[in-house]
Amino acid sequence: MALLEVKDLGVSFATNDGTVNAVNGVNLTLERGETLGIVGESGSGKSQLAFAIMGLLAQNGRARGSVRYDGREILNAPPAVINPIRANHIAMVFQDPMTSLNPYMRVSDQMAEVLIHHKGMGKREALANSLRMLDAVKIPDAKGRISLYPHEFSGGMRQRVMIAMSLLCNPDILIADEPTTALDVTVQAQIMQLLVELQREFGMATILITHDLGVIAGFCERVMVLYGGRVMEAAPVHPLFADPTHPYTRGLLRAIPRVDHEGGALDSIPGSPPNMTRAQQGCPFAPRCEYAGDDCVQALAPLTEFAPDRWRACNRSLEELA
Amino acid sequence: MFAYIVRRLAIAVPTLLLLIVFSFLLMHAAPGGPFTSERGLPPAVLANLNAKYGLDQPMWRQMLTYVWGIVAHFDFGPSFIYKDRTVNAIIAQGFPVTLTYGAISFVVAVVVGVGLGVAAAIRHNSWLDYLAVGISIGAQVLPNFVMAPILVLVFTLWLGWLPGGGWEGGQWQYLIMPVVALSTSFMASIARITRSSMLEVMNSNHIRTAKAKGLPMRKVIIRHALKPAMLPVVSYLGPAFVTMITGSVVVDMYFSTGGIGKAFVDSALNRDYAVMMGVTILVGTLTVLFNLLVDILYAWIDPKIRY
Repeated sequence: MALLEVKDLGVSFATNDGTVNAVNGVNLTLERGETLGIVGESGSGKSQLAFAIMGLLAQNGRARGSVRYDGREILNAPPAVINPIRANHIAMVFQDPMTSLNPYMRVSDQMAEVLIHHKGMGKREALANSLRMLDAVKIPDAKGRISLYPHEFSGGMRQRVMIAMSLLCNPDILIADEPTTALDVTVQAQIMQLLVELQREFGMATILITHDLGVIAGFCERVMVLYGGRVMEAAPVHPLFADPTHPYTRGLLRAIPRVDHEGGALDSIPGSPPNMTRAQQGCPFAPRCEYAGDDCVQALAPLTEFAPDRWRACNRSLEELA
Repeated sequence: MFAYIVRRLAIAVPTLLLLIVFSFLLMHAAPGGPFTSERGLPPAVLANLNAKYGLDQPMWRQMLTYVWGIVAHFDFGPSFIYKDRTVNAIIAQGFPVTLTYGAISFVVAVVVGVGLGVAAAIRHNSWLDYLAVGISIGAQVLPNFVMAPILVLVFTLWLGWLPGGGWEGGQWQYLIMPVVALSTSFMASIARITRSSMLEVMNSNHIRTAKAKGLPMRKVIIRHALKPAMLPVVSYLGPAFVTMITGSVVVDMYFSTGGIGKAFVDSALNRDYAVMMGVTILVGTLTVLFNLLVDILYAWIDPKIRY
């Protein structure tokens, strides 16, 4: 049994402009200790997928399908079921460390409360453990800084605090939702390096959500490419980068700027992401796809395993794309 | 922080002096005087009275004498209308009354208002939310001079449950209607501010983090949401508290509670300069003090604020 099993997950939001289908029929499995990357551009539904797993959708959001953690159904589960799992078994690191920490509480209190709540520790023990975790994420002078407020830390340090906080209970799964997006480039590299080391040290299964393919390549074993709330392609990281089988994945890889590439305009995928308020039947990428035909507008091919552990959802065969 | 408080108190002194000068000038600029009456006093009597109360002196002289009286002896002078009473005595008699029903009204308004606002925000767009919003809008559009007679009509005349007025040392039967009449509109404002601020906070990222920690909703609200949600409420509470404890004319009139609200309006109508100044200074001082208190509370709530 997989550690985390997501089946046919859909997320929709009721808005004034109609229903927005942010995620459609996503399946994924995560084994113990595995690292999975979810990549997609803004609005592809990758963050909402994570929020749905954690039960953290906005009030107007509805999730359908099934999410099983260790065999137990946790999608739309009541607080009595989901609360003991959050942070304790499945922890999450958010995108924006500037606003995701409570600005009105000392870091020490914010961290300790997790252990006090889930592990029933006393305040003193919880603080000692929190301090050890701050050391583990390499915050210099953690002892002197644990009782500061978040605004007294820099952005990178705050994200380290977030990461330390998420690892306090030694969770089985860590979901990192664009953990480096809000940070500047040098700090991004440090945080990713830290995540790689921590993942090795603690061995938690990790879902890394990002729009940065480079980050995926350096961190993940498997990759899932999301577009318009649907999985376009899923594969182990090396085959996906070496031999992408979906027109969208190919476009994404081509669009990565290269240092050794002399002059010329950057490659891009023409068009813009789909308007998610409209009901979709066909392939969401069809309007931007150079290989698209009438059949693509009518229906999206189901995600099929065309080679061991390699999945793609495309009406065009591999030969047609060659 | 301590240095900040001292500095603020030091600034309060010129603030209050300015308040005194302007009220003094405005007061004397109003036509008529304390001894103007329909019968008209003989000029000789009027001159004597003016001399007794120092009104024959030039304005700056009167002002200096007045301020000196306060600074040196904490003496706000004699009432110009009630021959046997000083301003100190009038305030000492009326202020405890207003302070009592004002403070109780304040507590009621805060507890009910915050409770209603938080409940409405948490059950956003539910019947509870609509009910709370309905109550607060109803309470806000119903002025207390309409509310007070309705209360008397219902609870005194029809039901006969509560006395229609009086104070009797502040026994609870005499307190209920003044408190309801005074607290309602403040309660409504507090509920409205709390609700919108709470709604905003509950949608913020750090609340999502708190939920992701697996904390139960109750803890998320109490430990993480309430403090930031209270910031805009607190800034409203300072001035509201002063307004409430310095009394309401309407309450004093309808319920004959004998607070300084009525004394203030009477003094303005009768040109009782000394009483008017006394109450003005009282309100001014309290306003300065409670604004300072609000600022201190702010710094306590929000660690980013440092003075």
